[in-house]
Amino acid sequence: MNPIVTISHLDKYFGRLHVLKNISLEVPEREVLCLIGRSGSGKSTLLRCINFLEDPSHGSIEVAGVKVTEENKGSSRRQLIHDVRLKTGMVFQEFNLFPHMTVLENVIEGPVIVKGMERKRAIELAESNLDRVGMLFKKDEYPMRLSGGQKQRVAIARALTMEPQVMLFDEPTSALDPELIGEVLSVMKKVAYEGMTMIVVTHEMGFARDVADRVIVMAEGELIEDSKPEALFSNPQDPRTKALIERYRSSETNA
Amino acid sequence: MSLFSSKQDAPKTQAELLFEAGLRREFQFKASVAASWLVLLLFLVFLFSGQSLQIGSLTFKTIKIDSAFIMNEIDFIAAGLGETIRISILSIFLAMALALLAALGRLSTFPPIYALSTFYVSLIRGTPLYLQIFFFFLALPQLGIVLPGLIAGVLALGLNYGAYMSEIFRAGLASVGKGQREAAAALGMTPTQTMRRVVLPQALRFAIPPVGNEFIAMTKDSALVSATGFVHELMWRATKVGRAQFHNLEALIMAAIFYWVMTLGLSYLQGMIEKRLAKGDR
Repeated sequence: MNPIVTISHLDKYFGRLHVLKNISLEVPEREVLCLIGRSGSGKSTLLRCINFLEDPSHGSIEVAGVKVTEENKGSSRRQLIHDVRLKTGMVFQEFNLFPHMTVLENVIEGPVIVKGMERKRAIELAESNLDRVGMLFKKDEYPMRLSGGQKQRVAIARALTMEPQVMLFDEPTSALDPELIGEVLSVMKKVAYEGMTMIVVTHEMGFARDVADRVIVMAEGELIEDSKPEALFSNPQDPRTKALIERYRSSETNA
Repeated sequence: MSLFSSKQDAPKTQAELLFEAGLRREFQFKASVAASWLVLLLFLVFLFSGQSLQIGSLTFKTIKIDSAFIMNEIDFIAAGLGETIRISILSIFLAMALALLAALGRLSTFPPIYALSTFYVSLIRGTPLYLQIFFFFLALPQLGIVLPGLIAGVLALGLNYGAYMSEIFRAGLASVGKGQREAAAALGMTPTQTMRRVVLPQALRFAIPPVGNEFIAMTKDSALVSATGFVHELMWRATKVGRAQFHNLEALIMAAIFYWVMTLGLSYLQGMIEKRLAKGDR
């Protein structure tokens, strides 16, 4: 299948710190890819490079036919980045809903302001997506009245309403109380089964094992393992991956 | 009698009793403060009542004020209220606009813009408000620029308060987290859209209570504009009739009462607005 995200020879420095080291990666359409690894391994930075919340130091990124290379500079680069962002939806660890807008206003903001969609049509689309994540009944509430899990489901609806071709999830359950993680994961599962291409940075090994088509392990700014979840969990190759799986196993049995 | 006691005569729990005792203490404190305020106010009124007080062999005379003068001139002074409010409202809007621009300038990475903002704030904060008012009334005409009294007063007050209030808006803008900008960017918003739709609405909401305080302060500082003699607000009227008939005491007392009542009213309004904002729907 055609790759919908193609990353080639990507490098990212924070000052002198080399956080992503010559990364190349293709993500085919409809794939659910989980990026796992210890904190500081560069997985969030890699994800944030895909929609240019972090500007890569070297290398190129292509999302759904829009290619941004080092040669693109100035206003043409800004335009390309804008096009990439229209093709990607992002869900953050801290939800980042707009607190001064109701749930519905949060969700229609992108289509109306960015795409210039007619308000009535945006509301229809927003309501259907809120229904998809089970949050339609709270559409007139302000975010501060929602639980963390509800906020994250609204954030997912907000991203979906832009009708992106790829969804990027940056540790979507890490800020949640344990009892709220399930509702968010099951919404993500649903979105995955509906055929969305998803790149998910996560510590949720259970989700990686059950939902992902492919799992990539990162360490020190490199991709150290790239395989099917069954293979990864039954037969990890790299010692660092082994340690990661080991830790997950022991937390499972303790729980 | 049934075995189950009804809700009313159930014995109160320890926590409920403590809570009620706390409420009672709070109420008693507030009531005592209110009573003391009343005593102080009555004392002040008594001080200006012109009564004589005999304590033993000593006689205390309180201040006698001319009530006929007050009755005659109260309308003339009260007519300045509208002008005071008009100056204050116009000035606060000018000040808000300037403060917002100055605060945005402070965020700029373009050196001339940043410099313009800091230069303005430094110049205005480094000179007295009184001087700035005179500058607009007295110095500009020397250059052939003669502004109507009201305009000059509003410009001076607005420029001055704008410089001080830029800090408020700066704090408001800083209160909007990085995550908000990132979420807007991820949706594809341009920096201008992000500022207008996401950052400014939150920053302005943050700034409402402190701007209210500034407005109250400004209603009083607007009295300084009277010194130039061209704006017939409360203070100008009070000093005019006071000097003309040598009844400055009565005239200033009247003006003081107007200012005080106005400030009390505005503070009350301010408190209501803050309470509504604190409820946090928005």
